[in-house]
Amino acid sequence: MTPLQFEAQYRDEWEELQSALDTLRSGKRRADAEVEGERIASLYRRACEQLALARARAYPAYLVGRLNQLTADAHQLIYQHRDYGLGPLKRLVAFEFPRAVRAHKRYVQLSAAVFLLPMLVLGVLVYARPELILSVVDPMTAASFQEMYSESGEALGRLRGAGTDWAMFGFYIRNNIGIGFQCFASGLFAGLGSLFFLAFNGAFIGAVAGFLTAQGLSTSFYSFVVTHTPFELTAIVLCGASGLRIGHAIVSPGRHRRRDALVIAGRESIVLVYGATGMLLVAAAIEAFWSSGRWLPLPLKYSVAACCWVAVFGYLWRQGRHAG
Amino acid sequence: MTQTILDTIVSAETPEGIAIELRPAGLCSRCYAYLLDQLIRLGVLYAVAIATSLMGGFGLGLSLILLFGLEWFYPVVFELSRSGATPGKRVFGIKVVMDSGLPVTPAASITRNLLRVADFLPMLYGFGILSTLLRRDFKRLGDITAGTLVVYEPPRAPKIAFDELEPLAPVQPLQPQQQAAVVALAARSSRLTPERLDELSALAGWASGDAGRSGREVTRRVLAVAQWLLGKR
Repeated sequence: MTPLQFEAQYRDEWEELQSALDTLRSGKRRADAEVEGERIASLYRRACEQLALARARAYPAYLVGRLNQLTADAHQLIYQHRDYGLGPLKRLVAFEFPRAVRAHKRYVQLSAAVFLLPMLVLGVLVYARPELILSVVDPMTAASFQEMYSESGEALGRLRGAGTDWAMFGFYIRNNIGIGFQCFASGLFAGLGSLFFLAFNGAFIGAVAGFLTAQGLSTSFYSFVVTHTPFELTAIVLCGASGLRIGHAIVSPGRHRRRDALVIAGRESIVLVYGATGMLLVAAAIEAFWSSGRWLPLPLKYSVAACCWVAVFGYLWRQGRHAG
Repeated sequence: MTQTILDTIVSAETPEGIAIELRPAGLCSRCYAYLLDQLIRLGVLYAVAIATSLMGGFGLGLSLILLFGLEWFYPVVFELSRSGATPGKRVFGIKVVMDSGLPVTPAASITRNLLRVADFLPMLYGFGILSTLLRRDFKRLGDITAGTLVVYEPPRAPKIAFDELEPLAPVQPLQPQQQAAVVALAARSSRLTPERLDELSALAGWASGDAGRSGREVTRRVLAVAQWLLGKR
């Protein structure tokens, strides 16, 4: 069969497939209903056979190219999977995320240790010798921290005139989720980046806490942080854990090629980042609209905070054990 | 096809056993696309910042959230759309696909875009550029981890123009590879200078019985053989 005969024989099929693909890709909902899935699948399979024939018979480039393009387009449409939307989100919250956390238990423990140890050490050190805060921040920043939690401010945890709750909400989202993503992404360097950012952020938070406690501002400081901390710090630890997972895949790929191990680690640990992002969003909302309120009575604040702590750890520990 | 070809084509196999050819996009077109996307982001941010500056604290919060979204999720949103490409990528004819040639999945798109942080280090996408330059498939670190590939939208191969020439049977039976070579030459004839076409046709003189000769007439006869091979009789 010559190329021209081949083309003449199958041209109609190709054009039918091409126009069906064009209709589907135009993206209109009504268009989807007009095209018959079964017909497309069978046309696609035939185009695949014809492409194989055309290649084996060394048909001219334009013919093979056209078939290659046609099958590639159809392949994209037929095998695509759109796993986003409300259903997958529900699955993520109901069991995928807490299960992923438990599946990465070792990484979470290591990440928590690297985060909390510097926090404790710096906290105790700075509490004992408050001038050490200057080894972490400059005097201006230290003074501004003091002002944020002093008795006179209008809202806890922010400078006078720093902005409304909404402005702070935006700031917390951009800043804190950015830190979380950084802890994850820098794990690509054999995990070292994650370790560094975890330890650095832990040490910084510890130093500030120790400093403010030593200044006698512990009531306002701890009543501010206690409610959003279970979401925020846990989320940072989880982001770090997913970074460590990726780093571990590079250092020790096990029975996979290094490249495959990395892809698998990325796919499995990104679930932690999804969940952590959600937790950081919750944390930002609490921090902006609830934690900063001076008018809230302390017992209420502490009891809500206790509920949050129990809820977060109960969720990560028990949720989704039997479902799905 | 076991000999090594100096080419960057990646072939992805479909479940039907067909190899689909993907052409990874190199550093330059990706840089241009990135810069264009940066400009678009800046423009949007600037416009929104002006609009929200009148709304006080709420507006500031809104523009910070928008900044966060643009920083991290601008590419994700566009890569998950039907085109699989950000506006910048679309302008330069490239898009993001999975290694298998399929549309990029949400997990992969988010992974490759969060890992931009790692590619950006130590400065100005240093590691990303290094990785792109060292690899045959031009992946940056985020692409390696997410299992994605940035590819050119394939251009359509030009069709061969057959008009005036009377088809001519080859003087001897030609091997499949020889047939393919002659037809491929004909397919390229409109894009070559006449002098170059003559040179190349002289090399294919065995097809029309003109081995060892060259010139306009040989070219015409070789192209005529190509038409016969294509099926014009």
